[in-house]
Amino acid sequence: MKKIGSGLRRRVWLTASAVCAFSLLWLWKPVQTVCASEEPVILRVCNWEEYIDLGEWDDEEAITLDDGTVIFGEKPLYEEFEDWYKETYGKTVRVEYSCFGTNEDLYNQLNLGDTYDLVCPSEYMIMKLMAEDKLLPYSDHFYMESDENNFYINNVSPYIKKTLETNEINGESWSKYAAGYMWGITGVLYNPALVSADEAATWEIFGNPKFNRQVTLKDNVRDSYFAALGILKADELTDEKFVHSADYHERLADMMNDVSPETIVQAQELLDDLMDNLYSLETDSGKADMITGKIVANYQWSGDAVYAMDQADADGFELKFAVPKESTNLWFDGWVMLKSGINDSVERQHAAEAFVNFLSRTDNAVRNMYYIGYTSSIAGNDNDDTVYEYMNWCYGASEEDGDIMEYPVGYFFSGDNRDKDYILQASSRQTGRQLYSQYPPQEVMDRTAVMRYFDADANKAINQMWIDVRCFDINDVPMGIRIALLTAMLFIIWALYKKSLSKNS
Amino acid sequence: MNKLRFQRSQLCIPYGLFLVCFVFAPLIVIIYYAFTDGEGQLTLENLISFFSSPNTIGTLAYSLGIAVATTCCCLLLAYPIAYILARSSFKHKAVILMVFVMPMWINFTLRITALKEILTVIEGNLAYHPFLNTLIGMTYDFLPFMILPIYTTLEKLDNSLLEAAADLGADTVWTFLKVTFPLSVPGIISGIVMVFLPSMTNYVVLDMLYNSTYIMGSLIGAYFSAYDWHSGSMIALILLIIILVFTMFTNRYADEDAGSSRGGVIGS
Repeated sequence: MKKIGSGLRRRVWLTASAVCAFSLLWLWKPVQTVCASEEPVILRVCNWEEYIDLGEWDDEEAITLDDGTVIFGEKPLYEEFEDWYKETYGKTVRVEYSCFGTNEDLYNQLNLGDTYDLVCPSEYMIMKLMAEDKLLPYSDHFYMESDENNFYINNVSPYIKKTLETNEINGESWSKYAAGYMWGITGVLYNPALVSADEAATWEIFGNPKFNRQVTLKDNVRDSYFAALGILKADELTDEKFVHSADYHERLADMMNDVSPETIVQAQELLDDLMDNLYSLETDSGKADMITGKIVANYQWSGDAVYAMDQADADGFELKFAVPKESTNLWFDGWVMLKSGINDSVERQHAAEAFVNFLSRTDNAVRNMYYIGYTSSIAGNDNDDTVYEYMNWCYGASEEDGDIMEYPVGYFFSGDNRDKDYILQASSRQTGRQLYSQYPPQEVMDRTAVMRYFDADANKAINQMWIDVRCFDINDVPMGIRIALLTAMLFIIWALYKKSLSKNS
Repeated sequence: MNKLRFQRSQLCIPYGLFLVCFVFAPLIVIIYYAFTDGEGQLTLENLISFFSSPNTIGTLAYSLGIAVATTCCCLLLAYPIAYILARSSFKHKAVILMVFVMPMWINFTLRITALKEILTVIEGNLAYHPFLNTLIGMTYDFLPFMILPIYTTLEKLDNSLLEAAADLGADTVWTFLKVTFPLSVPGIISGIVMVFLPSMTNYVVLDMLYNSTYIMGSLIGAYFSAYDWHSGSMIALILLIIILVFTMFTNRYADEDAGSSRGGVIGS
């Protein structure tokens, strides 16, 4: 017995020391690699999940554009960036790449003390971080068009650039702190066999009794609130006088960012009613449910709409995307540098800016668009038409393909929608389809509104409003049943208590 | 080497450390947040607003409703099966038992996704019966947790007791009511604990089956993602207390009934 005992003890000790040795090795390993080469710059990047091309394409995936350019993703872009940085600037940088799930998660992570140098939140979170003075402005060098390695400033779309410049918070424009990455609008993805284009092109479809329990809204307060505002203010928003007024854009933005207490109350009542007409609230499942036919229309982001339409095409039926006539939400995600991460390190800031520039190289923008399915903020320039060529590769058509329409996208590529260089020859079947959602026409972009970040009180109020919409209201249960249930519960507790007492004695 | 010795109590150290780091420390953080406001001031407002808002009370009632209904369904389905299985003279009972446990080997989100499709075929449109769907989903999910403990207690039941009951003139029904059932109570309690508590907070099933109503788990999540750590923590704490009280009752009940011979219930 004793022998077995001591043998066991030895074995325990051996195992324990082995575990210790392994964990020491594991701890030591990163330290060792750092020491081996000359001090690399560590760049901590945090991005949305599945929001960068991870390379490893099959050979047949290589995209050959009309001008002969071949796009091919070999390695993850952040790894290729390390090589490019070494080649271009002669210094070693190591990217620590991680992901976040929602803007709120990212914000909470930052508050809990995670440090990142470069993150990619959505516009309203950028506003919040800006207002809290957590962001570092890009250096002047970043905006110098003369440096050919400054891909961002040389390639960014004039439309995105203007939007970033004209939106301000505390008197500073967003463009000082944020570099656009992906963008899109919101709208209604619908099944044209069951829903007409007119029925889909309004936010009121979510309250339309014809589609009772066959439509879905998004499971987040900002998107649902936007749709609710669109319904509440529908008459005003579609009024001809209003649409043609001189200060239309300013007034539109104010209306779609209305968080006055009365409006919130109205929105809550409306959303409460809508809930009885919805199939569900969803974040991700809507695309699949459209394809399997469980629902006929859903609130959708343009990028996801493209994905769903592609999937439906593969399955042999058609889905379409409509942009409500009232207004649509222009959103974008942008790269911002965090003060807490960069921490006044010139080297790290340089690496962070170079990372943004690298992603803004047109071939990399195309790779990202191909992988992610959203629309890049990068348009190219007079000498580099790769992005436009990619669009042509995706959607371009010729006479043999049947009806052709002229689809001007100059507003995005050169800032002038009449620009002859940017009128795509596309199949007329593309109306309301992938091309329309990826690069919406100018008249759609005219009625976009950016949804701002609301101040702490308003934010709290709309969050609480949303929680109230989602909660089961005890007042829906008749008083009699409530009392009966409560009595029954108390009786059971009392009986159990009594029983345990009698057992004890 | 032989001189290295440690006492048995030292074996607790790893778990002790785990307990301190991942149970006690977070708990203290939760308590701190629950009783402070945004400025770090001590306050009872979170507690008061929990009990004064019809929505939080409604959510609590809805969660309890789902949990009670799920537990009842599981019990009604599980007891007969466990009874038949345990009392049958079939040689390979383990095989049949495995058939019931087998669904647990498959990832539960996969199972619920499959269930979603089956229910859609049956109902046409899931949106009309959110409560019923949730109930079916939860029951499907937690049924094995009810079958197993009941089966185990019934399996161990001493046959001589049943024979004695029969000798003394009790018929089958009477034997079941007076002998079998009371002796299987610890297993039932065990099953109830394993089903009731998780079904109060398991909001994944609701989400996947398109029930948009919040239950306790999702309500806490909603407050957290709205940066309101304080209200969220208070709800978590209240939930914890409810669970604690519940476990205390069931523990006591089970121990007493089993004549302290079986420590059937471990509170989770």
